[in-house]
Amino acid sequence: MALTPTCRINRHANKELVQEVPPIHAVRLDGPSRTSTKCGATNKQRIHRLARAPRAAAEQTIRTRERNLRKSHWRAGIDRRTLVKSGAALAAVQFASPFVIPARAADAVKIGLDNPLTGTYAAPGKNELVGCQMALDEINGKGGILGRQAELVVEDSTSGDAGVAVQKARKLIDSDKVNFLLGNVNSALSLAMAQVSNEKGVLHIVPGGHTDAVTGSSCHWNVFRVCNTTQMEANAVASALVKEYGKKVYYITPDYAYGHTLESGLVKAIGALGGEKVGGDLTPLGTVDFSSYLIKAQAANPDVILFLIQGDDMVNALKQAVQFGLDKKVHLAGAQQELEALEGLPPEARIGTWVMEWYWNQPGVPHVAEFVEAIKKRTGRPPTARNWFGYVSTWTCALGAEKAKSLKAVDMAKALQDFHLPPEIALGPNPAFYRAGQNQLLATLFVGNAQAKGSVPDDLFKVTKTVSGVEAAGPLEESGCKMTWPT
Amino acid sequence: MLARVADGGAGGEAWRMSQVVLFNVFNGLIVGAFYALMALGLSLILNLSGVINFAHGGFLALGAYLAYTLIPYIGFWGALIVAPPLTALLGLIVERLLIRPLYGQDPLYGLLLTFGLAYIFEDVTRMIWGAQSVPFQVPGWLMTSLSSQYFFLTGYRVFMMIIVAAAVGGLFAVLKYTRLGMRIRAGTRDLDTVSTLGVNVRVLRSLNFGIGIYMAGLAGVLAAGLLGLSPTIGANLIMPSFVAIIVGGLGSLLGTLIGGLMIGVVSGLAAVYFPSATEAVIYVMMGLVLLVRPRGLLGEEGRVH
Repeated sequence: MALTPTCRINRHANKELVQEVPPIHAVRLDGPSRTSTKCGATNKQRIHRLARAPRAAAEQTIRTRERNLRKSHWRAGIDRRTLVKSGAALAAVQFASPFVIPARAADAVKIGLDNPLTGTYAAPGKNELVGCQMALDEINGKGGILGRQAELVVEDSTSGDAGVAVQKARKLIDSDKVNFLLGNVNSALSLAMAQVSNEKGVLHIVPGGHTDAVTGSSCHWNVFRVCNTTQMEANAVASALVKEYGKKVYYITPDYAYGHTLESGLVKAIGALGGEKVGGDLTPLGTVDFSSYLIKAQAANPDVILFLIQGDDMVNALKQAVQFGLDKKVHLAGAQQELEALEGLPPEARIGTWVMEWYWNQPGVPHVAEFVEAIKKRTGRPPTARNWFGYVSTWTCALGAEKAKSLKAVDMAKALQDFHLPPEIALGPNPAFYRAGQNQLLATLFVGNAQAKGSVPDDLFKVTKTVSGVEAAGPLEESGCKMTWPT
Repeated sequence: MLARVADGGAGGEAWRMSQVVLFNVFNGLIVGAFYALMALGLSLILNLSGVINFAHGGFLALGAYLAYTLIPYIGFWGALIVAPPLTALLGLIVERLLIRPLYGQDPLYGLLLTFGLAYIFEDVTRMIWGAQSVPFQVPGWLMTSLSSQYFFLTGYRVFMMIIVAAAVGGLFAVLKYTRLGMRIRAGTRDLDTVSTLGVNVRVLRSLNFGIGIYMAGLAGVLAAGLLGLSPTIGANLIMPSFVAIIVGGLGSLLGTLIGGLMIGVVSGLAAVYFPSATEAVIYVMMGLVLLVRPRGLLGEEGRVH
């Protein structure tokens, strides 16, 4: 039979295999695959042989085959043109159709939100968005901004790519022609966006990026910030820690702008109270396993381990620390804590001393209960500080424009100097205002302890002390901000 | 050596340091075992089908979230048993509908597809279960330290090691002793020949993909108990697994296992001496291996496409 292969015996077991492989139809003609072929091996035996074949021999087979396939492979491969095309398509996707809350009027006032919706900071980013949307609905319900309806244009800045955040900021300003720019959760992205907004002269509000520089050494006349500086958080929590838990402190710090400034702020504040740093580690953003750092921290024998990491990293680290039983030997604490993170922790890991920048359970403070109810209607959860940041940021745009009677950035920025938020927006025990010469909101910081269970199931934080923003911030000169105004 | 450590932390700074180093090596092996579990699934799929499965982390997250959803009904143990096969089932569907048409094409297509899938999975988990982390509860008695000296040896971690050992042992046994395993090994060497010898390669690839995704699902449930559970859990764990494969060598499962363990130990040691480089050091190790021995520790020559 012409199709039956010949069988040559060869020193290389595998070469034999290559040459004896019959064409498929030949096998079929020969009947079921179990039948012996001329070479005296069943197919089962051949598979066995192949599975056990010496590696070099198998490689030989593969190489021969690849040589034969190369021509067709080359055709299936991509050339430069295809690559460029797919690259362009990917770039186009990034700019395609942002999520727009539909405008009700052609001449709407536009607020551009350039904040993370994906990645590590998706949760805080989305919560700030909820706050923005709620404020927007309230503003439009009360007649809009200067008689015009307001609209929100939302872009995903990503969680850590400054290039994308800047591109989106330019796109919002240049092609969407937004009147205000909001963002970003990430400190580094906030700084990058501030450079763009300043260059374009657009009023920019940073809802939740904490590094000192935003309203410190890199401050701009047009950039306002709602959340606290890292130094304010450090000052607020330092005395509680040193007085109650001891002087020897170990730091677990995220290795980026926010972490560095927070740690140096805490070292300064705790040092002033007689405390000392007995050790510390800088951990890369997105570290999932903290056990090796915890082993080191434990060996340094501190009174307090400070967790300055945020978000998912904090959840991972706290969960592991509690599994190791470290909470029973050392006091675990930190500076900034967020309700989002506490909700992600199992009850036994909701421990430690922290600062909240806003907390929903404020008995006796007017308007807070209404705000809590309104947010619960939207998300089904009690509001977080991030909801409040977004809410305040958006309202600041409307209030500033009303006070300045203008949408011009310079007029508005001047109107917002020392501007006090009305109580239904400030939502705290102390007055909240944008300090003149720095554009930093000074409100209230809530120091306390995380708790497994409170009066109600969602009450995960016990406030032990409120610190006014003015007290936490210290004098204006210490901020390092030298504001220059356009002439 | 261990006995001396058990004597306690007495002694000078040098002694404390060597204890930290020893603990970190030990701890690194535990962490590395976990990376190895994830990398083995990836490696299995890559070896047979030539698909670089970037969506592996997505399947891992999915397995973890499925377990999280199931725990209120069937408890942690039930979820540990049920969630990985469910994930594998989903993997089979994805393989049948999306990945199968790309076999035999340039590997770049499979890579682009799974890369896109990884993003889709992450956002789908975000849409269903929310963007912020959720509390994943494991039985309380697992959550305590077994020894106050070796405080990093918690019940859960020991349990995890046992599961990883069982899964890896089971996988190697299946590959060595069953007909399916034999076919997978043979297919890894030369799929065309296996095909001509009358094996249904489509089914073989599907089953192999399913086993790989099962490992991802299992890794997901275990990771959720150890770490916080958030939609980014898969993306954070996938890169070390790729590095484990490259360091260990393409085509060798044993190499992948060793690569995973090495990553754990090396990043643990980096945490002692140069803490901000725990992540970078993995890639430095990969770079060194590629320079000195491009095929990886146990890899096969010329296997890199």
